[in-house]
Amino acid sequence: MIACFTTRRLLIAVAATLLATPASRAADVNEATEKAMKAASAKVAPSVVKIETAGGAEVVGGGKKGPGGPPAIRKGTGPTTGLVVGTDGFIITSAFNFANKPSDIFVTIPGRPQRLVAKIVANDQTRMLTLLKVDAKDLPMPDAFPKAGIDIGQWSLALGRTSDPDADHPPSMSVGIVSATNRIWGKAIQTDAKTSPVNYGGPLVAINGQVYGVIVPASNRAEGETAGVDVYDGGIGFAVPLEDIMGVLPRLKTGQDLKRGLLGINPQGTDAYNASPIIGAIQPDSAAARAGMLVGDKILEVDGKKIPNFSTLQHVLGPKYEGDEITIKLMRGDKEQELKAVKLVGTTTAYVNAFLGLLPMRDDPGPGVEIRYVYPKSPADLAGLKAGDRVMKLAPVAAPALSPIQNRAALLGALQRLSPGTEIKIEVKRKEGDKVETVTAKLVPAPETLPEKLPLPSSAGKAIEGQPKPKGKEPKDKDPFSPGCGSEGEDEPKKDEKKDEKKDDKPKVETGFIKRTNEALGREYWVYIPENYDANKSYGLIVWFHDTTEASKDGAQVGRTFRTVCEDHNFILVGPKAGGKDGWVPSETEIVMQDVKTVLGQYTIDKARVVAHGQGNGGQMAFYVGFNARDVIRGVGTVGAVLGTNPKENVANQPLSFFISGGDKDPTLKDIKESKDLLIERRFPVVYREMKESGKEYFDRVTFDDFVAWLDSLDRV
Amino acid sequence: MMTRYGTLILAAVLAVPFTAMPVRAADPFNELAEKTNQKMVKVFGAGGFSRLNNYGTGIIISPDGHILTVASQLLDTSELVVHLYDGQRLKAQVLAVEPELDAAIIKIRVEGKKIEEPTGLNLAYFDFAEAAKKPLAETGDWVLALTNTFEIALRDEPLSLQRGVVMARTKLAGRRGVFEFPYTGDVYVVDAITNNPGAAGGALINRKGDLLGVIGREIKNSLSDTWMNYAIPVQAKVDIKIKETVKDKEEEKTITVTMPDFVTQGMQGKYRTVTRPKTTVGEGGYHGIVFVPNVLDRTPAYVEDVVPGSPAAKAGFRPDDLVSFVDGEPIASINVFNAWIKKNTRSGQVLRVEVRRGEALQTLELTLGAQPTRPQPTQPAPMPKTP
Repeated sequence: MIACFTTRRLLIAVAATLLATPASRAADVNEATEKAMKAASAKVAPSVVKIETAGGAEVVGGGKKGPGGPPAIRKGTGPTTGLVVGTDGFIITSAFNFANKPSDIFVTIPGRPQRLVAKIVANDQTRMLTLLKVDAKDLPMPDAFPKAGIDIGQWSLALGRTSDPDADHPPSMSVGIVSATNRIWGKAIQTDAKTSPVNYGGPLVAINGQVYGVIVPASNRAEGETAGVDVYDGGIGFAVPLEDIMGVLPRLKTGQDLKRGLLGINPQGTDAYNASPIIGAIQPDSAAARAGMLVGDKILEVDGKKIPNFSTLQHVLGPKYEGDEITIKLMRGDKEQELKAVKLVGTTTAYVNAFLGLLPMRDDPGPGVEIRYVYPKSPADLAGLKAGDRVMKLAPVAAPALSPIQNRAALLGALQRLSPGTEIKIEVKRKEGDKVETVTAKLVPAPETLPEKLPLPSSAGKAIEGQPKPKGKEPKDKDPFSPGCGSEGEDEPKKDEKKDEKKDDKPKVETGFIKRTNEALGREYWVYIPENYDANKSYGLIVWFHDTTEASKDGAQVGRTFRTVCEDHNFILVGPKAGGKDGWVPSETEIVMQDVKTVLGQYTIDKARVVAHGQGNGGQMAFYVGFNARDVIRGVGTVGAVLGTNPKENVANQPLSFFISGGDKDPTLKDIKESKDLLIERRFPVVYREMKESGKEYFDRVTFDDFVAWLDSLDRV
Repeated sequence: MMTRYGTLILAAVLAVPFTAMPVRAADPFNELAEKTNQKMVKVFGAGGFSRLNNYGTGIIISPDGHILTVASQLLDTSELVVHLYDGQRLKAQVLAVEPELDAAIIKIRVEGKKIEEPTGLNLAYFDFAEAAKKPLAETGDWVLALTNTFEIALRDEPLSLQRGVVMARTKLAGRRGVFEFPYTGDVYVVDAITNNPGAAGGALINRKGDLLGVIGREIKNSLSDTWMNYAIPVQAKVDIKIKETVKDKEEEKTITVTMPDFVTQGMQGKYRTVTRPKTTVGEGGYHGIVFVPNVLDRTPAYVEDVVPGSPAAKAGFRPDDLVSFVDGEPIASINVFNAWIKKNTRSGQVLRVEVRRGEALQTLELTLGAQPTRPQPTQPAPMPKTP
């Protein structure tokens, strides 16, 4: 009631300005607004508490610099801010305030002289909030602004307790407006009021003194308690709606940390905005797997909301918690299905690549796939498969019938959908005597071993004949590894050209080291085409990222190193150039991928062997590009490079393998190893080599040979 | 319900005058900016290399051409130049500097005249004495900043006007010596990004055009590890404790330095800069607390043991107590405690120490003793910081 009267009195004051003379009106409106702002702050101030901590780390977050990585944040020693959400001593605040893991937390409530010892009750790990409890009673509760009434353009005041140590003074105030609602996947309100460690955990307040939400650092590009801190005071701040917080408060009070609710599916391509939401992969043991969703299902609706693309799906699922239940309507084949009460899970089990143990012959139009090599002691070896045999059909033992395997892409695709431990039946046409037999094998997790010596040739040399007929009815996107280029429309005339060249029996393709300029951007890059280039063989593509800090291999030098590799194992090299001297920046990914796609369109490229390779900070960029151009990159090979960002998940339909090496004298070896461990933890196939007596040098001979073996076995199954 | 209604009506009321009035009248800052701009100068001096700017801003405080600005490296030159609002380029000379206020007075020097002589100029100016008599601005007050931020203005180009509110009125330093910054008094923290290169010496004014303060430098606040946007109030006042030797006896004395005194005397060329001795208070009293091994950057100040018979023993400290606050100052770590004691205390001083014992805070009164001649068990050296 008191609040109501205050508002009423204020209204009278403001209304009075209408009666003033026109000339002074503007000033009077400013005066009235200024007063209203102070009154709003004063109304919430008793619920805005000061939080102090002891102990904890000096620097939090990041630690590893790199493209796209969260920067390390030096945590200030000053007090931080919290908001009362329970009269009996519950305080909500930003998880950022405890990112340094302090050993002790103290809370000061305005108007009460005694500092209180606080305990962390629980964390909301998706909205990055922390609930504290102090031993206190009759705390003043703030009034929540109805979420539905929050509109863009409304005044917003960001209050905090860091600047002024006295909790009985007015809290610090920074003024702005609501810039947007439903940000960060529907979890936050955006404001242009200055938000920073000075007010994280404090309330974002409307001009009537009601609280919109609790100020947190946030970013739509990164997660974690320090994400978004790097743009503090940048005119882009966030607050979690208080109404949402009050909604989950009972769950937080039970002491259980709240996690984001995950469905566990991955899209087919990378276009989250235009492509239909067709499931490309399902994480094992995920909510989607438990609900019986299948690869190829098209999602139509979630909780009654239409889902035109994956981006919408992300927005709908973004605010959900672990344990929340959703209803999904999907299209399977030509039938609509409804899945009720799909319970989202908090953690996903990583996808593990299944391994049969053979290398397929490339550029073989089929039917069937010739076996180029069998890994010793692999399931394929144990089943008695031999090099030269042809895999004709394949299916899990449990399946009713064997499915024909048309070509290498079909073989890779079929095995991607299976997990280790699955028993499969393989129909094989023997090299000796054309006998057809059926054998069984049990898939295992992909091992770290590399084949000792790879047999050549690796290609049947029929890449162009192997192309699906231009107007064939085969579904195009079911073949992620088909040789040739990405955009089919553009490519078709070129195929004809290549056929013409073949008739001449002398391809007119320019070979060797070629410098090029990206016309649109004016940036240079180079390409190395082996002398014996033959459009009828598919070539792997190595994208070389040079180290910008040190004298590292570049251009012609890399070409020389890889010359024989390119000729014997069919590889093309492409070398983009970093724009600045200070290293690669994440935004260059797009430019680099433009160059890569140009090359993909001009030569016969094996999409199963497109690799980002780099040294030092170039290697860091290779990691970044690998994770952010997953529709194209299948492998990342690095020398002396540290992972700049947390690795993303391993998914079935966009496989990614790693070859990581470092010198034993490299001061960052510890971090390199840590990067390797992080990737293994995510269940990516990783080959790791530590080079003796080496600092920051490129691969030594032994490691280089291993690297080549890795490059040549990226299409193993 | 009432409040909900209230918002709607309030919004409606606020919207009406803006739409119903001519643009010029609806924009009262315009006139103010034009008027204030005539009372400001762009300052050019020493610097220009390794992140030190050779440009700044100044506030005219007399018709004769006295200018108030920040005591920066900019002034370390005989070639000091100011640009007036109308584009005039004039030489200037430093009259007085006070690091304790981070302030300096310079004066325009006209060709052929001595610095003491009147310049004959008749400039628009801020009446500093009047401004200093007004009460301090409050948190939430609307303010405007006028600076030559990023050297965007030259000659007759107007300075940049920024709008914001007083975010807080607080101390930048002094709480724990967190800044390498001499001024220890209150500052206005502003919610606009005012403190950029070239902005130091700019004016913070209110909606009526009253001078509130002098925009400061670019300084990072280690309490929050954020860049601060602040101004030193025209009413600034600092108490400085110094030790003086009077008749072979050391005495502690407090000197009060104020901005109004500095400006009045500085304009007359009579101001004498305060000389602050290196050590302020004693080298730290003796407490007798033995902390747990200090192995981290921020090892919490847990008591491992108490030297028998020591001040800490008499005060009732116990093993496992966590020293949390001393005289109200939060103690984030052993290092903070040691630094604070060394900087702020001496033998005989009584401290109010709050320790966490179990789930509650207990207040203990600790009377510090003299440092014993024999070294007490020392703390292991803190681990070297990783780069």
